[in-house]
Amino acid sequence: MLTLLARFFKALNSETGAWALAFAFVLGMIMGITPLWRVHNLLILLVALLFRVNLTGFLLSWAVFSAIAYLVDPISHAIGAAVLAAEAWQPVWTAMYQSAVWRVVQFHHTITMGSLILSALFAPILAVISYFIVSRYRQHIQRWFMQLKLVQMFKASRLFQIYAGLKGE
Amino acid sequence: MEQRTVRRSAFRWQGLLAFIIILVLLVAFSLLLLNSILKWTMEYNLGQLNGAEVNIAEVDHHWSPLGLELTGVELTDPAAPMQNRVVVGRLSATVNVEQLLLGRIHLEEVVSTGIRVAQPRRSAGEVYQLPSADSVANELRQQFANFELNLPSTDEVMSRLQLQTPAAIAKAREQLEAQQTKLAEAKQALPTEEKIKSYEQQVKAITEADYSNPAALARAQQEFEKLKQQFEQDRAAVLAFKEVASESADTIKALFAEVRTAPARDLERAKQLMQLNSEGLSEITAVIFGEQVQQWSQYILLAYEQLAPMLARSADVEPVADERAQGDWVEFAAASAPPSFLIKHAVTEFVFGETQVEVDWQNITHQHAQLGQPTTFRARGENSNLWRVLNLNGELALTADGVDARQQWQVQGIQLQHLALAESQQFAATILSTLLDSEGSVALRDSQLSGGGTVRLADLAMQASAENKWANVVAQALQKLTHLDIQTDVSGAMTAPVFALHSDLDRQLGSALQSAALDQAETQLQGIRADLQAQANGFLGDSEQDFNEILALVTDAENREQRLQSLLKAKLEAQLEDKLKDKLKGFLGGG
Repeated sequence: MLTLLARFFKALNSETGAWALAFAFVLGMIMGITPLWRVHNLLILLVALLFRVNLTGFLLSWAVFSAIAYLVDPISHAIGAAVLAAEAWQPVWTAMYQSAVWRVVQFHHTITMGSLILSALFAPILAVISYFIVSRYRQHIQRWFMQLKLVQMFKASRLFQIYAGLKGE
Repeated sequence: MEQRTVRRSAFRWQGLLAFIIILVLLVAFSLLLLNSILKWTMEYNLGQLNGAEVNIAEVDHHWSPLGLELTGVELTDPAAPMQNRVVVGRLSATVNVEQLLLGRIHLEEVVSTGIRVAQPRRSAGEVYQLPSADSVANELRQQFANFELNLPSTDEVMSRLQLQTPAAIAKAREQLEAQQTKLAEAKQALPTEEKIKSYEQQVKAITEADYSNPAALARAQQEFEKLKQQFEQDRAAVLAFKEVASESADTIKALFAEVRTAPARDLERAKQLMQLNSEGLSEITAVIFGEQVQQWSQYILLAYEQLAPMLARSADVEPVADERAQGDWVEFAAASAPPSFLIKHAVTEFVFGETQVEVDWQNITHQHAQLGQPTTFRARGENSNLWRVLNLNGELALTADGVDARQQWQVQGIQLQHLALAESQQFAATILSTLLDSEGSVALRDSQLSGGGTVRLADLAMQASAENKWANVVAQALQKLTHLDIQTDVSGAMTAPVFALHSDLDRQLGSALQSAALDQAETQLQGIRADLQAQANGFLGDSEQDFNEILALVTDAENREQRLQSLLKAKLEAQLEDKLKDKLKGFLGGG
């Protein structure tokens, strides 16, 4: 975990693009909030690996949102149940239910459907917020932050030794 | 020096390689653990359907055709955790891939062999859902434990018996005294013996006198007429007394007869009261054969007792909403869509000792409305080691109201040997050998059973022993049985059938027990009989003199009446006329 955090700070202070970090957070969030053993998570993993998004940010986001998901599950279930029970959508769900591909996606599971909708709605918000925070950090906070006595003390710590031993991506 | 910025590609091709490696590892890992995953999954799900722990010794799979093979499947009996309700030796099934991709489990061909029911377990299985009803077997065992018969004591009988003999004696004594008083009063009006003798002398004087002229004769006639009037009055008094005396004699005679027969009637009532005091007499067949018939019923009702509850539970899975990775699976199947679970054809091979019987199943599902057909089953067997003919067929469907099903069976020539019916300390009974035939039908409507059948035991040889004297009577009667027809009625809920058994044995054993009870009561009855007889004889002996006196009075009255009626009246008139004629002839004829 220390290594993961160190890598994250390294990426934060490196030349890695702010959008690359923001997308990593979004992908990790989707994978963390939705149930793990679902086909769409393979797609998320493929995107995270194939495109040059920050893997450290992705893993950290996945870990954090997996923990949050336990709190969000009842909401996801309620959203999924409401959507799947919506009268107007019944023909669509029934048609999809007859298709092997969609059945493999397990769209008819309330938490899967609800968490996918929830993460899809939250994704652009998280992307923009993440991009804004990373950019602001690099512009204004990074130099001030690095001069803090606390950070100076931190630089002498074990975490910083791990951090310094890492090579940037 | 000019610094050139190289824009890196948006793709990370080594990431694709990593993805492929992760994918391969996931597949390889799943394949390696597939059998274990299937085993755990099936043990869990079957356990939920069964209501108790399910163990599977081994699970194997094959890809072409896609299928499974299970060995050593044990379903714990929720009512008896140390026993498996069903054990399946081996089960193989092929899966329809196309339906599986659509999320439906359609098993094309299921073959299960080595099925045994009611087998002991090595260790107690965990129970998830207790059966709702108490075991019928336990009830029957309890009935047998309560099979205590008691004879009422002599005191108890005497207190309940309103004795007629003392009452008859008291009544007779009272009447005797009353009649004696009545007769004594009536006797006052009787002409005395002296008076009658006086009459006789007067009549004699009149009839024997020598009348010389008609005037004297006329006076004699007038005097006789006066006497005649007195005779008539006295005769009327005698007749009245005679009537009273006769009535009294008849009354006393009838009362004495009542006293004589009262002890016999009292004894008969004492015998009736000295009956066995047991409510269980009418249920002897159920007590002795109930548990065994219930065990046999497990084979007959196997489809209902085992399969139907599982199908019902599979159709009634409660969604779990707020747990991670659970949630609710919503079905969007159209009314005409195939069922989500279906076994198109299954062959189950049941093992009874060394004999096997194949049951052929069609369309096992919990969604019969979607399938449009019921689950059907059929078992046939001829000339096996255990039976001569076996026919069992039926159908079963889950509806909105419950389970609807019907089933018929016919079994002939089942040879049973050394079959223990009861093995308690107080009573032990074993069928040494018999030939069993059975036929009947059972229907299920809204999950309620109704129907029945007959169990015929021919060439029956039984061995029975008992400690209790009454149970010993039952044991002896059982040993004399050579055949027995038992009628069974089935009712109650599907998961807790109630059996009512009755046969001619109830009446036979009931009368044997009553006969034995009377033998037992004979000593007590002897005492009662002697006592009552002594009372009756004592009274009759004491009162005999009084009764004879009344009879003598009647005889005496008859005698007096006859003397007054015939001797006095008839002779006097004739004599007077003859004498008068002789006199008149003398006067007129010149004698």
